[in-house]
Amino acid sequence: MNDAELVERYRGVTLDHTNKHFYRALLDRELRLQRCADCGWWHHRPKPICPQCWSKQVVATPVSGRGTIHLAIFLHQGPPADGVDYAAGPHPVVTVELEEQAGLRFTSTIVGASNDQIVIGAPVELAWIERDGRPFPAFMLTGAQ
Amino acid sequence: MIGDANPHKDRIAFASAATTGFRRDHGEVTPASLALDACTAAIRDAGVSAAEINGLVGANAPYIQSALGIPHLTYWNGPGIPFVSAIANAMNAVATGAADVVLAYHSLYRNPMFSRAAAQDPFRAATFGIGGLGAGMGSDGFGPDSISGAVGYTAWASRYLHEYHAERETFGYIAINDRSNAARNPAAVLRDPITMDDYLAARMIRWPLCLLDMDVPVDGADAFIITTTERARDLALPPVLIHACTQGMIAQNEEDQTPSLRDHGQHVVVESLRKKSDLWIDDVDVYFPYDGFSFITVSWIENSGWCGLGEARSFIEDQWDHDSNRILINGRIPVNPHGGGLSEGGTQGSGHTREAIHQLQGRAGERQVDGATTALITAGGFFFNAQGCVLRADR
Repeated sequence: MNDAELVERYRGVTLDHTNKHFYRALLDRELRLQRCADCGWWHHRPKPICPQCWSKQVVATPVSGRGTIHLAIFLHQGPPADGVDYAAGPHPVVTVELEEQAGLRFTSTIVGASNDQIVIGAPVELAWIERDGRPFPAFMLTGAQ
Repeated sequence: MIGDANPHKDRIAFASAATTGFRRDHGEVTPASLALDACTAAIRDAGVSAAEINGLVGANAPYIQSALGIPHLTYWNGPGIPFVSAIANAMNAVATGAADVVLAYHSLYRNPMFSRAAAQDPFRAATFGIGGLGAGMGSDGFGPDSISGAVGYTAWASRYLHEYHAERETFGYIAINDRSNAARNPAAVLRDPITMDDYLAARMIRWPLCLLDMDVPVDGADAFIITTTERARDLALPPVLIHACTQGMIAQNEEDQTPSLRDHGQHVVVESLRKKSDLWIDDVDVYFPYDGFSFITVSWIENSGWCGLGEARSFIEDQWDHDSNRILINGRIPVNPHGGGLSEGGTQGSGHTREAIHQLQGRAGERQVDGATTALITAGGFFFNAQGCVLRADR
């Protein structure tokens, strides 16, 4: 998919030459975060240089998606989104500390769990859902189906 | 690196501070009309003429200059929020000589995104450049599944409750304190007292924060005259000296990448102020921690050193004045005596600044702290807008 097609596929989302690799990977159900090819440092959100060593050799690199819940909130109301029904119950949003590096975190919703199971410290793994006709990275509790 | 230089300490001062007061609905107003009402009051209170003003700090400076008929400007800038960034901006302009007399102002206008009543006003949607409720959200494609922006405080509030085994009542005390204080402030929008039961029963918005944890959308404005201390001494009101002023931010300033509750912008502000200021919490007569969300206030109280980390609830309970149903540290230091963002109105720090000035000028009415000479403002949150300022009376 070329850049023009990518922009068309993500109409309404602010894409640029730095974050396009992240979004392009999502369409292949792959969560890729920026990693420095020189020093190995991961960062998010995408930047064009490594914040640790200023190398420009930063590569969108797959992460396992495994980690633990670091922050957890429940939206009783919020912006409209495909597949999100606040009337059905508070919508969970979690920030997950990924196993790749201390302090490297990714935020999304969590699926397949009741809200009282969604607690800080719980282990999670990646779960792909669909939103706006595109694959969307979410989490599920480790071991859940 | 956090430096200790402060060559203009006490040399730049507020000559006046004025407000329109805050309401849910000020009628057929615009952000600029509100700002102009506050500006004309601040100019008259200070006793300066429009011709003496040559700096503007605030939104839409060309329009404001034109409306006020200020003949010549040599400096103008629209700073970020909260309002201590405007103080820093005005202070820097006067310190460098870019301007001699600065008019700084901040206007609040209920956003139809956050106020159902405001959404009924077609002119409001046009003002904010949005098509209606929900439009313009989620430009990263994550919609609600993000903690960017204001939601970040809710997310870190969940971490606070987890790490310190705390309960929501800690936040509830902040809401009650603000409301009790607002009862004495005619400029405040919410003045009816609340109880902890009211707090716990309030509508949940984003757990763990409810409606009463969030500042209230209002119409209104504050305005200020800032000039050299020397010049301010010749004007109509007692000057209030800018003793130290700072902003604070760390490298990992994205909401979900912030290292911890013990390492963010507030810690930079505290270290910077402690290096630049001769005065600290033992000297303070009146305290203004930001309260865009109640949790931010809890964090400022702890991070400024009024108590230990995770100890805010027991500190507040120890310092609670049961007669007035509010915090009175050591029986005398009020916290946000104007009612703060939660009850005076969501002023993004301009209300805190105005009240600090009025307290140090002895013009705070029935809220006046006897003999107040030093005020501490710790504004903003964790990520990209933490700020602080020490103000003192000229005596």
